[in-house]
This record gives sequence, structure tokens and C-alpha cells, in this order.
Amino acid sequence: MQYGLFLGCNMPAHRPDIERSIRATLTDLHVDFVDVDGYVCCPGFGTFPAVDQDAQLVTNAWNYAIAEEKGIDLITQCGSCYSSMKLGRATLLEKEGTKDRINKLLAVGDKKYEGRANMRHMIDLLYSEVGPERIREAIKTPLTGARIVVQYPCHTRFPSELVGFDESSGRPDRLRKLVEALGATVETYSLEYGCCGGSGGFHKTSAAEAESFTKRKYEAIRDETECEAIVGSCITCVMYMDRVQKLISTEEEKFSYPVFDYNQLLALCMGYPPSQVARISVEPREAFIQKYFG
Amino acid sequence: MIDLGGAKLDLWKEIFGDENIRHCFTCGRCIAGCPASEARNPLRIRSLVRKVLLGLEDELLDDDTPWSCVTCTRCEEMCPMGVRPFEVGLAVRKWQCANDETRIPPAIVDLYTRGYSMPVGANPDLREELGLERELPLITSDPELHEKWKRVLMSVKLIKDNDYMFGE
Ligand code: SF4
Ligand code: SF4
Repeated sequence: MQYGLFLGCNMPAHRPDIERSIRATLTDLHVDFVDVDGYVCCPGFGTFPAVDQDAQLVTNAWNYAIAEEKGIDLITQCGSCYSSMKLGRATLLEKEGTKDRINKLLAVGDKKYEGRANMRHMIDLLYSEVGPERIREAIKTPLTGARIVVQYPCHTRFPSELVGFDESSGRPDRLRKLVEALGATVETYSLEYGCCGGSGGFHKTSAAEAESFTKRKYEAIRDETECEAIVGSCITCVMYMDRVQKLISTEEEKFSYPVFDYNQLLALCMGYPPSQVARISVEPREAFIQKYFG
Repeated sequence: MIDLGGAKLDLWKEIFGDENIRHCFTCGRCIAGCPASEARNPLRIRSLVRKVLLGLEDELLDDDTPWSCVTCTRCEEMCPMGVRPFEVGLAVRKWQCANDETRIPPAIVDLYTRGYSMPVGANPDLREELGLERELPLITSDPELHEKWKRVLMSVKLIKDNDYMFGE
């Protein structure tokens, strides 16, 4: 089974070190993947999905059409890409007449989407196709003793009948099990299943309110866990959980937890150099990396 | 009291064609875990659905709150009636854009001119240092394909109607 690696916009633009970690780890795990030549923005919810349905769906369908030409499905780490593409696909396939209408638009660019190609999320792929056991066998340096807090991407949870792959959307656990496969201990806490608050327009329209929303999460992490690092698998969660800590810190109290994408941590456990797979962040990660990877 | 004098009873069809919206019984489960209900100008997703159903056209045209949605889609999971409140919020945004072009987010121009909302492909040196290929196979790497993409988008009515935004 071959997959098309759908990078989205944020990862290659802002965190290509995560892209590097994904390419390295998937190769080592024998996941066969190719680039999606000529892909475009998924589209993100603040763009065409906020403007016009045909523009939104024709963009989803363009990306699927490229995958379909190659006879493959797509994989992505970005929660928004995943959700936009999954929700778009459901509308394209389930709403009477929609696929035909959109294919008329696509035909102008010599593209066609039959409805075969689909989108999968990185967590789902790693859990269901590779599995925690093979991950455990593939790592060189386990994270024994490390205490990790997991951020589950909302876009991979709700609405569960369209995007879900965890057994319970309310209490997802696949990302936790993947982190445990690295030998780490995952800490639970009261706001574990809450949104990071970083996506969409919330922070743009209401910076102070959005920050206090996320600060509650960080206060719960501080009070209820011995968290040493936070792990996500969505570019928005990862970038926001990292960036927001400076914004919620005060003179009296600084929040400074290292934040990683799952594939970054996996790549470090496989022995890849941090200068390649974990290079870009706001909060320093050196001490954590030094402690566990020397 | 809500003044229903100017109400347009078919408005829900215009904004959100899906009949399921009429099954809303204002239980409020959608708003229970909604992060954007804490926005400066709070998004009250249940009330938004009500306004659509009641046909409060003027109020909805001026309503900025759907733009604070964090897109977490929790409300869809919570709703027992299959209303899909998150999609209703996006539909209100679309309807506002169709009625007022100043609502259209400028970010969509980037999707046309370069294919992406972010400057993808602007960091070849960094990529090389990370051990990645300098270039990605982007839509802009293939001018012929990029032209096709632009033609596809220009065949969408709303884009064509606002083609001046795209420099066309
Ligand atoms: S959860 Fe559904 S039925 Fe209940 S108020 Fe919200 S939209 Fe209406
Ligand atoms: S998707 Fe938007 S409206 Fe629905 S719960 Fe999340 S922030 Fe609120």
C-alpha cells in the first residue's frame, strides 16, 4: 500500500523539521509513500470553507484527484487538512449531485475525482498499519522514565462518524499508546481531552480570552502532572501549544514545557540528530533531549 | 423579546440547505464545551442556529461571532439531532461573504496565486540543512498545472464574480 504524503501549508512553511522526522520515520517503518505533486491548500477552514462551498469542494477534489491518478490514499499530520479533506469527501460522496457538479468544474483543469482516494491521519496510520509493537522494535533509545502529556487533535475526533478512528471520541487513546510504545509514561489530567484553542479564528478575534482558555490547560498540567514534555500530532496543536507558553507566562510564573510532534520524538528515539528532526521551536527542548538522548 | 417583524422564514434554506437544522430543539449541548463561547464577542452556537431558523437576516448579516469558531467540531459530536452546528457556522460565514464581499478573507487570494495559505517553498536552504530535498513538487513548480488550477478556480461562480480580488 502506497500513500501520498500530504504536507499541507504550515509544516513545510514553518516546521520543516517535522517534515524531516516524518519522512525519516516512515521510511524506517517501511511505510511506502510518495509526494503529492501539484497539491494545493486542503483548503483550511478560514479560507474557502468560510467563503463558498464549490470553491471548498473543488479544492478538496483537486487534491484527491491527484492521489487518484496515482491510485493511492493520502496521509497527513495536520488536523485541519485531515478534517477539511474528510468532511469535504463526505459531502462530495453523500450529497446527491455534488460530485458531478464539482467534476464539471474540475474538468476545466483536466482533473476528475471518482471518489476512490481517501485521507488518513498519521496517528491512525501509525497505530493501525504499523502498530505499537513494530514501533517498539524500531527504536534504539527508549524514553524510559519520561513523563509525557499528550494533546489529542480535535479534528481527528469530531464528528466521530466522519473523521474518527479512536474507539471513543471522548477518550481517545491511540496517540497515548503510540507514546507508550516509545517507553514513556503518559500522564493523565483533568483537561487532557480539551481543545488546544489554537485553531480557527478564536485567537485571532480574542487573543486574551483564547490565551486564558489554554492557560487553564497549562495550569492543570502544572498542578496535576509531572509533565516533562508535551506531544501532539497536528501542526496547529504543536505550534500553538509551543507558542502560547510565552504569552501566558508572567513575571511570577513561567511556563516552558518542550513541545514535540509525535514523529519528532519517534525520530529521536530512532537515533536521528535533533539538528534535523527537532530543530525549530519557541520553548527550548535541549534539556529534555540531553536527558534522554545524551 | 426578539422582534420577528422582519423575519425571513425561508432563510435557513438560503443559508444551510440541510433539513436537519429544523430538528434543533435548543437543548444547548452544542455550546456546553465550545471554546469560542469564551471569545471576546462570544460565539453562542445554539443561538446562531436559532437565528438562522428564525430568519433574523439583518442580525445575522452583522454577526461577527461565527468567525471566532476554533473549528474543533465538538458541537457536531454533542448535538443529538444531527444539526451539524459547526457547518451551520461555516454556512453563515459563506452567506455573509455572498452578501458582502468585504467579508471575504484575503487569504483565499494566496490559494489562487501560489496554491497555499502559507509561503510554502520559501526555505530551500533550511530544507537542505535538515536533510530534505531543497524543492518540493509544488503547484507553482509546474506552470502548466498551475494555470489549470487557476482556470478551475475561476470557473467557480463566487471567484469569477470577485475576479478583481485575484488580479484577473
Ligand atoms: S445541540 Fe443540536 S439540537 Fe441542541 S441546541 Fe445545539 S444544534 Fe440545537
Ligand atoms: S466547532 Fe466552533 S462552534 Fe463548534 S464547539 Fe468548536 S468552536 Fe464551538
